[in-house]
Order: sequence, then structure tokens, then C-alpha cells
Amino acid sequence: MAETSSTISATQNGSAREAILASIRRSLATSEPFDAAWSEHHGHAAISAPVVDPVFSRDKLIENFRNNLELLGAQFALVSSETAASEHVNAVIDKLGAKRIAISDSALVKRLVDESAIEFVENAPASFLFDCDLGVTSAQWAIAETGTLVLESEKESHRLTSLIPPVHLCVLTASNVRQTMGEILELAGKDLSKTMTFITGASRTSDIELTLAIGVHGPGELHVIVIADQ
Amino acid sequence: MEHLTAETFDQNARRALSDPVLHGALRHLADNFAERRKVAMGSVDDWEGLREKARAIKQETLLHLDKYLLQFVEKAEKAGVKFHWARDGREACQIVLDLVNERGAKIVVKSKSMATEEIHLNDALEENGIEPVETDLGEWIIQLAGETPSHIVVPAIHKTKAQIADLFVEKVGIDKTGDVDVLTKTARRILRKRFAEAQVGISGVNFGVAETGTILILENEGNIRLTTGLPKTHIAVMGIEKIIPKFADLDVFLKLLPRSGTGQRLTAYQSFITGVKKNADDEGPNEIHIVLMDNGRSRMLAHPVTRQSLACIRCGACLNACPVYQQIGGHAYGSVYPGPIGAVITPQLVGLSKAKQLPYASSLCGACREVCPVKIDIPELLLHLRAEITDGTAGGAAANPERKRKFAESLAFRMYGFAWSGQLSYGLGIKAARIMQKLIVRDGKIGKASGFLAKLLPPLGAWTAWRDAPAVAPKSFREEWRKTLRSNGGN
Repeated sequence: MAETSSTISATQNGSAREAILASIRRSLATSEPFDAAWSEHHGHAAISAPVVDPVFSRDKLIENFRNNLELLGAQFALVSSETAASEHVNAVIDKLGAKRIAISDSALVKRLVDESAIEFVENAPASFLFDCDLGVTSAQWAIAETGTLVLESEKESHRLTSLIPPVHLCVLTASNVRQTMGEILELAGKDLSKTMTFITGASRTSDIELTLAIGVHGPGELHVIVIADQ
Repeated sequence: MEHLTAETFDQNARRALSDPVLHGALRHLADNFAERRKVAMGSVDDWEGLREKARAIKQETLLHLDKYLLQFVEKAEKAGVKFHWARDGREACQIVLDLVNERGAKIVVKSKSMATEEIHLNDALEENGIEPVETDLGEWIIQLAGETPSHIVVPAIHKTKAQIADLFVEKVGIDKTGDVDVLTKTARRILRKRFAEAQVGISGVNFGVAETGTILILENEGNIRLTTGLPKTHIAVMGIEKIIPKFADLDVFLKLLPRSGTGQRLTAYQSFITGVKKNADDEGPNEIHIVLMDNGRSRMLAHPVTRQSLACIRCGACLNACPVYQQIGGHAYGSVYPGPIGAVITPQLVGLSKAKQLPYASSLCGACREVCPVKIDIPELLLHLRAEITDGTAGGAAANPERKRKFAESLAFRMYGFAWSGQLSYGLGIKAARIMQKLIVRDGKIGKASGFLAKLLPPLGAWTAWRDAPAVAPKSFREEWRKTLRSNGGN
């Protein structure tokens, strides 16, 4: 079919680009005489001063994060140490009866899993992930006000481990929890990873009669463990 | 399945009104979405302030769209993204087709994208022997059914659970079930195989950030993360209007879009993609291509009223709030974009002469303007387009066969305007109407006008076809008032 189709060449791409930009500029020039009168007629309200978000104590922040996660149906645990976190990870594995487990390359995650007891595959290929029972990752940040986990691809290799297995278990430290999305966008925006992913609850859909169904393409279960500051 | 066109909106709407199955499917829409939206709105402190901010950001972007587009392209190119510019849908389809063919791919996975619906990308791929697999549950359902989406956010809203169950029995061979979870799990099972075998993933874009070259895509299901994360090649198709200036601006839109669209505080997943991975061993595709598409958009910048159309963030709130959409659903609009926003975008995309009835597909109640998160004045846009139709400026007077009738209508309105402009002419007009109406008033009202009368006064014929018109009262309030004052001996 390549013989018959007119392949879009670089020159064509360049001329399309110039044509589109010229059309934008032409239209904006045409609009100019009408713009002032229209803006006046619409008399838009002044933008109000930004709402100052209350400053929460660390305890309050974690509690807020927990409430919002649980509202979404996620399982939350606050633990006091890495040892306690490790026990909790094992408890989740036992409860699920998970046999095939994928983990990310996070140092924290590797410290928490007991590799003598069960086999874990680090940075598993998609073919393995499709048959996994559980994916364990960390997260770089969390947003308390929405119950959101923030994954940055250049800090950890966790895009697919957090997505393909039916259950996602995520461990992070309390110091990485922030109250608002605005704070996180500012923090992460300074040094953007190639891919940043926000995860807020389990995969869901309402495409059939607006009835909620969980776990359509991503995990149907989300477990979050927060390790309190030492 | 027959695809309706915008040109026959009146007939489409009438047919939809008498379709009980469609009404059964749409009944969830109004209460479900409106309620959820209200609750979600309540979770931000200053909803109106946010809307105003969003409107201002979009306005600023559109007034300097060339500058912000170039900034976006420069930043993303530096991060390894390849750009392709498309003047129209045909060009955009060809670009995608070439990219897919060059990679020898026979199967592509797609996440939901109104831009690709707009250019009928799936048809173009299929005609060239490539299988596009829709992976959003709603999109997959309508692809199985051979239909088109009827809603921007919930593509299969026009289908009942029973219809979907029957479809699954027929197309994927499961036992009939009324369990939404079973239907959903079936889709998961089948689509995972398709994800595993696809070499190319095609997505849309919700926002493109000029400052960083980032694209942001929102979703609930996880299929967008799979589409943009698993195949070796990711192609994103985006309209040129999706740009916003700063990364921090996303805060505003991430608060508005999910709340307005589905009544969520945040959708389950957001993917912020800023270029191609650095190392070959890293996760993610080896290459990212963005197709920047005009397809009639730059024309809309030519007037402040029409320019508003480009601020739309495709949340679907105006559809859910619209009393017309609630009754007839999306297909009746005969266009990719249905509902109030469709009624203003479609005529501008395809040309007013091909969608002349759509600007009239509204009672101008203003519910759409009330809910719009970026404060698009849709009624103003509808009136603007109606004026273009009446003036015959749409496609030139010669292209408008209704010009003659419109002349009679505008003469009638001018006479009406004159009659109401002064006390004397108004009084005389009312007196004349009282005498003339004796011919047609029965029991104090004007019933169904027919035959000669309906022909003479078409608006009266249309009005009285479904309801009575009130007669002019024998005495006006002012006349009654004067009489009462006199008989009471007042001065």
C-alpha cells in the first residue's frame, strides 16, 4: 500500500505548519476590531485572590490522606517502621494468596520484601506482568486532599508494575505526603520525569448505564502503606 | 447501523423522542451526573473563581495561540517528541496511516479520543487493512456494535445494560448476564490480549503545556496508561486549541475537568508525558509522535464569540445539563460532537450550510452556560450562528436557499419592532389585532392553525401545532385600570 499512498513528506509537514500558523495569525487579526467591545460587553469578574490552604500538622495530613483513600475504596495502613511495613506487606501477600509477585526497582520496596520466602520479579516484562497476582511499588509523592499517589518515571521503574497486576501495593514514607495538588505540581514541575502518573484509587468505569465497576483495565485493588517518620 | 447527519436534525430528533429504549438508557443521565457534579463542586472553596481563572487562561492562550503552540512544540521536540502538522482531517489520517505503515503494524490499540472520532481515523485505518482496537470500555462497546459515540465522556450512554449484554453474547460469545462486573471483566480479558500484540498506541490529549512540552491525558480505566505505556510507538492526535501556557495552570483544569465531567474530585489516572524515555531499557515507548491538527479550528479565532468554542475542555457537562440532549441523546445531532457544545462546534467545523438546524437545537435556557467550567457562553454562540444563517452570511447569500423566507421573517420582525416602539403605534396595533383575531379565536384562544392560515403565518402554524396561542385580551390592563379608577370615583 505504500506505493499508492502519498506519504506526507518533510516539506509537506513544513508547509502545513506554515499554513496553520498563518491561518491562526490571519484570524486573530480579523478578530481584533471586535475584541475590545466584546470584552467590555462581557465584563468578566475580577479573578479572586487565591484561596490560602490551611497548614496541616503531619498527623492531620496523614489522616486526611487516609480518609480520602478509604472513600475511594483503597486499603490504608500507617506503620511505625520498615520492619512493621515489611510485616504488613507479607500479611497482604498471605491474604491474597499471591504466588507471582512483581516489584519495582525501588530500594525501599526491595528492603521490605522477604525474598527468602517467596519469589519476586524485579522490573518484570509485560508478558510476566499479565500473569501476576500482585505488583509492589513505591511512590514519590502523595496528595492528601485527593488521596492520590504520584509516580515519577525517572525516580523508579514502576509504570507497568503499578498498572498491569490485579492488585497494586504501594509503600511510601510520611514525609512525602503533601496536602494539595498545587504543591505537588510545583514540586514535580521543577524537574519533570518523562512520565508522571497520578493514581487515585483503583481502576474504574461507569460506561455501562453509569454503574460503577472496579478494575476494568488497571488494578481492581489498591493497598497503600505509609511509614511514619522515624 | 445508519449514521445520522446534522442536516436531518429535525427528523432525527423526532425519531429519538419516540424511542422508548433510548429513553430508558438516558434516564440515568440527568439525576446521576447532576447530583455527583454538585457534590464534587462543593469540595472546592471557590468554584466561581476557578471557572473565571480557567476562562482567563484559555482566553490568553487563544489570543496568542501561535506563540504558545510554537513554545509547546519547541519544548517537546527537545524532549524527543516528533511533530506532524495537519491542516485537515484527511491530512491527519494520512499522517497516522503512514506512521503505522512505516512500522509495519497491523493492529493498533486506541484510547478514547474525540479528535480521532472527528477525523474518522478508524475508517481510514480499516480501509487500509489496519485493525484499530478501541480499548475504552464504552468505545469498545460501540465499536463492537458498529456505532458512533453519543456522548463525549460516556460514549455508550444510549445503550441499556440489556443491549450491551446481548451484544457481548453475539460478538464475544459469553453467556447472557445482567452483571456489569462480569461484562467489565470480559472486556478486560479480551482487550489485554490486544494490548499485548499491538505495536502502536494511539491516544488523544487533554492538555498540552507550552512551558514544559508536557501532554496530559485523564482517564479512569487504565487503558490510556496501557496505550501510552506498552506499545513501542505512541501517536497522540491533538487539536491545536489544547494548549495552556504554564504547568501550574494544570491545577485549575485538574480541579474543574473531573468535577464537571464525571463528578469526581479527580479521575483515577492522569498521565503527564514530557518526551521520550532517556534509556532504551526504561519503560515506555521508543518514540512519541504528536499530530497537531487544525481542521477548521484556526477559523474560529476570527471573532471573539466563535473563539470561545476553542476553550472547550470536552467535559460533557453541557450535554448532561441540556434538556434537549436529555430527551434525544447524542446521535440525533448527527455529528461527532453532540449536545450544546456540538450544536456550536459542528456548524463551524463542517460549515453552516451542512448543519443549519443545529444552532436551533436549543431552547436557549442557558443551563449549558451555567455548568460550563470554562464559562463558554453557548447561548450567545448559538445566537451568533443563527444570525449568520439569517443574514445569509454563511457561505454567501447565493448558497442560502432560505434567504427569501428569511427576508419575509425579517420584515415581519421590523414591523413588530415598529409597533412596539411607541405608545401610539402599540395601541393601534393591539386594536387592529383584536379585530383581526376574531377570524381565528375559538374559546378565547388560538388553536391549531391549519391550511391557509398556517401557510400565511408559518410561525403561527408551527407554534399552534403542539399548543394553543393566547388571544389578545378584549381590554388591556391599563384600560381596565383606568375604568376601575373612574368607577371608584378616584381622580
